Amino acid sequence: MTLLYFLTLFPLVPALGMLLAHGDRARDAVGLIGSGIIMAVTAVVAVMFFGAGPQSFEVAPGTSHVLSIVSSAIDVILCVVILYNAFKYRNALTTVLGIVQLVGSLAFAAMTLPAAEAVTATPLYLDYMSVIMVLAVGIVGSLICVYALGYMKDFQAHDEHEAALRGQTAPDRRPQFLALMFLFLSAMFVIVTSDNLEWLFCGWEITTVCSFLMIGYTRTPEAIKNAFTQIILNMLGGIAFLAGLMYLHVNGMPLTISGMIELSGAGTAQSALLVMPVILLSLAALTKAAQMPFHTWLLGAMVAPTPTSALLHSSTMVKAGVFLMVKLSPLYAIYPVTGFMVTSVGAITFLLAALMAISQSNAKRVLAYSTISNLGLISACLGVGAPEAVWAAIFLILFHTVAKSLLFLCVGTAEHHIGSRNIEDMDGMFSRMPHLTRLMMLGIMGMFVAPFGMLVSKWGALVAFAQTGNVLMIMVLAFGSAATFYFWGKWLAKLSGVDPTAQNVEVNVHKTEWMALNTIAALLILCCVAFPVISSGLVSPYLAMVFGRVPYVIGKDAMYLMVVIVAFIAVVLLTSFRVSNKPHVNVYLSGVGTDKYRHFRGSMGHEVKAEKRNWYSEDALGEKRIGPVGSVVCCSIILFALLCCAWIGPERLAMSAPSVLRGKYFEGSGVVGIFIGTVAFALLAPLVGGLIDGLDCKLSARMQGRVGPRLLQPFYDVAKLLRKAPASVNTMDDTYMACALIFTVVGGGIFVSGSNTLLCAFMVTLAAIFVVLASASTQSPFAQVGADRELLQVMSYEPAVLLMSVGLYLATDSFDSIAVTGQSAPIIVYSAPIFLALLAVLTIKLRKSPFDLSYSHHAHQEIVQGVATEMSGGTLAKMTLMHWCETVLFLMWVGMFFVWDNPVSWVVALVVMAATYFVEVLIDNTFARSTWRSCFRLGWGVALVFGLLNLMPILVDVFI
Amino acid sequence: MDHKMSRSPWVIHYDGSSCNGCDIEVLASLTPLFDAERFGVVNTGNPKHADIFLVTGSVNAQNLPVVRQIYNQMLEPKCVVACGICACSGGVFRDAYNVIGGVDRAIPVDVYAPGCAIRPETVIDAIVEACGILDQKETVMRAGGDPLTVGGAATWDGGVELGEDGFVAAAGAGAGVDAGTADGAPAGKPAAPAAAKEAE
Repeated sequence: MTLLYFLTLFPLVPALGMLLAHGDRARDAVGLIGSGIIMAVTAVVAVMFFGAGPQSFEVAPGTSHVLSIVSSAIDVILCVVILYNAFKYRNALTTVLGIVQLVGSLAFAAMTLPAAEAVTATPLYLDYMSVIMVLAVGIVGSLICVYALGYMKDFQAHDEHEAALRGQTAPDRRPQFLALMFLFLSAMFVIVTSDNLEWLFCGWEITTVCSFLMIGYTRTPEAIKNAFTQIILNMLGGIAFLAGLMYLHVNGMPLTISGMIELSGAGTAQSALLVMPVILLSLAALTKAAQMPFHTWLLGAMVAPTPTSALLHSSTMVKAGVFLMVKLSPLYAIYPVTGFMVTSVGAITFLLAALMAISQSNAKRVLAYSTISNLGLISACLGVGAPEAVWAAIFLILFHTVAKSLLFLCVGTAEHHIGSRNIEDMDGMFSRMPHLTRLMMLGIMGMFVAPFGMLVSKWGALVAFAQTGNVLMIMVLAFGSAATFYFWGKWLAKLSGVDPTAQNVEVNVHKTEWMALNTIAALLILCCVAFPVISSGLVSPYLAMVFGRVPYVIGKDAMYLMVVIVAFIAVVLLTSFRVSNKPHVNVYLSGVGTDKYRHFRGSMGHEVKAEKRNWYSEDALGEKRIGPVGSVVCCSIILFALLCCAWIGPERLAMSAPSVLRGKYFEGSGVVGIFIGTVAFALLAPLVGGLIDGLDCKLSARMQGRVGPRLLQPFYDVAKLLRKAPASVNTMDDTYMACALIFTVVGGGIFVSGSNTLLCAFMVTLAAIFVVLASASTQSPFAQVGADRELLQVMSYEPAVLLMSVGLYLATDSFDSIAVTGQSAPIIVYSAPIFLALLAVLTIKLRKSPFDLSYSHHAHQEIVQGVATEMSGGTLAKMTLMHWCETVLFLMWVGMFFVWDNPVSWVVALVVMAATYFVEVLIDNTFARSTWRSCFRLGWGVALVFGLLNLMPILVDVFI
Repeated sequence: MDHKMSRSPWVIHYDGSSCNGCDIEVLASLTPLFDAERFGVVNTGNPKHADIFLVTGSVNAQNLPVVRQIYNQMLEPKCVVACGICACSGGVFRDAYNVIGGVDRAIPVDVYAPGCAIRPETVIDAIVEACGILDQKETVMRAGGDPLTVGGAATWDGGVELGEDGFVAAAGAGAGVDAGTADGAPAGKPAAPAAAKEAE
């Protein structure tokens, strides 16, 4: 209890210290000691929590009353601060809203403060969710403060330099800035530990005003404009919050979260009235979580110094919004209209923000859209109101906090050292800032690839949506994930480029920055590795406490497997571990390369630099085009929900959502099974795959009326490649390629051992990412174009592949491939349209003409070989082996649709697989290479049409 | 089965400067009609993947560094086939002011395949011939030896060096060479063409 007070109030001490301290050294000392103590206290709170379990804290009525008065006073003071600034900068809208909120706050204070029932018996609490948030805020938030110490020195120096050029002096506002950061932490602690909504609101408003002041830090016209956008949008949320509180109070309902949840279970006329405050509080949470149409404030917040962005995006501010929704999530299932609003707004934001992120080249804007998108997914999960979905949401919150803060801090440091935050300027970063880039790559991988937390959480979300029959969400998730994959993938590819001639520019990064960066990176890995423990120790108990049942989303064995892979990737990426020690050769530049890095002799004998820019598709995915659509749709949804509440009687809105919970909970074949499967796959798949490849060549030759190569030709090719002299353009590509091969084999092992097909698909995607890294790291323009196309191909087929797993789930209630053998009919009976979608994208996946965009297996091609351009000898052999394994795996996916509990079915499956491959060869020999656009249209088109066709009956079924 | 190289000869082709006839024939020999894939021949279009370098046309100051760079980017064991008489010796263009000579003025040539234009049968025959040299190189390499002691590289005179100005130095200039041999100085030109070009 005392500890809780200390935790909440202590950050005010360093905040005050910052204002009083003079000079950098004093500030460093205050910042370091302050952050250190906050982290220590956070840890102590967590440890004590594990001893005592969740508990509510009683506060003496007198003290409680005083604190309520204080919080009301703070609300009023904040309104005054806002109004002062609104007058100062003559912002009419802010003035109006400020006055509304001021009047509201005063009225609310007048209502509640004299009344005795305003005093809550147990206004403070600490449960599993609070502890997760306390840890996130306390550790990540403090680390960001530490980072800010060094960062702001550079920032100020830069400002002073600029000002000196103009003949002015730059005012030093760093003390206020750093003080605000600590104040922010204090407010967040209030939010996550207050059961009393009045107090929570006080913390809520402090974060709003703090971020307003931080965004306006530089006082440039742009900063001031964006700060006002922020305050206007968040004040709308604040006013909604206040209205919700008033509604609660006027109707005599408790002003606490626990009280609301207790009341909702009562099923009385009064509990039905809860729908209005729930929707108002959710609206406030959506504004804070920067969901469409309120998302613009978070984009504008980018003008602030990077620690602000890191703080707003990762541990505080936006997380306050989703935290409130986590708390309200049990109510969403009871009041479907509120759940509908939150889920739909979240889902639309998730998809559209991910698409808009593709069109951005500014690193901070990409990060901002990714935050908006992820918060959308979190909201969508929470709106479902089932423990399965909330499980995914909590993990998304946790991993997003860690990974996003790491990324922001990395981008901030990079900006100060390479002089740009544009992703296009990050060419060769891997050599210019070796350590920082590795951390950044880790952060990016942490955001979107398989074994890392974010994707595991997304996986959880997909399972949750499937289990609760949320068909539209499944579709949104499938497409949104593919878009997410693309925009992260191209950034990752850009970073991975190795430039042997680059100068190392990271030598004068501040120590405090390294301290923060390294710790957060370690934290990211720790969180991923401790995933099973966090799940069973914190998240599951929380859900058991709130929902009364523990969700089963991801099997234990799958989690352990992921832990191993995370550790493996971390070792590959962060250590100077090298597989190859080959002689260095230059990249291929059509024979006209010069000695200078990436330069070639152009016409007239000039030296020209070969450059490659990323694909943005501004015309189709630009924010001007997509943003308004999302805003209009989301506005309509919110208005619709509000009107429902206003016009339809509340008692009719309080009904449980029609949800059916499916799931048989197979545990797959266990870690041992997966291991055996992997070994078997590793031994057999290359043999079978090579043979298929040989047959393919033979068949193609016969179709062209010639004899063709020997049947075993592919094996001869690989044997030859292994005998070639070793050479490499850098030390990384062979390592990446080896990883890709390993992950493909593990993916195949997972499938043949009868385990989770989603995990299998994620492994294949992970392998694709490593192929992209291998080719992009070479910094060859040809290979980079190939890498870009590879990413596009993955984005094209990803939705259909995810739907394949969903198709399996529909038929068997399990994601495990073994489940098909227990069926009385093959799953093609249930999932024929999805099967057709899979067939359609198989050509893309097998990289057959007309979709052999990134790499071609063909003998007759005249173009340089895309992703494989710089690979030679052993590396190329690994690539070939990987293709063989992939071919076998994909054909097994096809065969899976025709297996049931009859042994004869295996023969049927084999026949279908053979027929499918024959058709693929036929297609390969019939069509000329097409454009990436048609590849993309086909992939997304079939997934959308056939996916919906297959899933629609479920949506309807729930209502029947 | 000890020889892996000859079972999978992947080729890259480059056209120096010629009437293009040989280049068309080289490509023709890789079409389904002649079905060179019977021997595992694949046209890779990428020196890092290729084992056999098919060069057509003669060498001049412009393409000499290109031929050399492509050759250097190929990994041992590798073979060079000079396709057509121009590539072998400079052919009818050997006395042209801009022609330095055959491909062996730039890189060591292992197989000389004459013809004007070269016939597809000759191309395939030359590739099969080159496969034998690849196998020899492979044997030498596996024994820890130097692949440059096998084939054309063993007797190669080093060809022509281009000067700072990108032209053949006057001192190295001499008479042309005959097909199938690698002796004699290249048909380089003294400073006159350089001056002429600068005048342009």
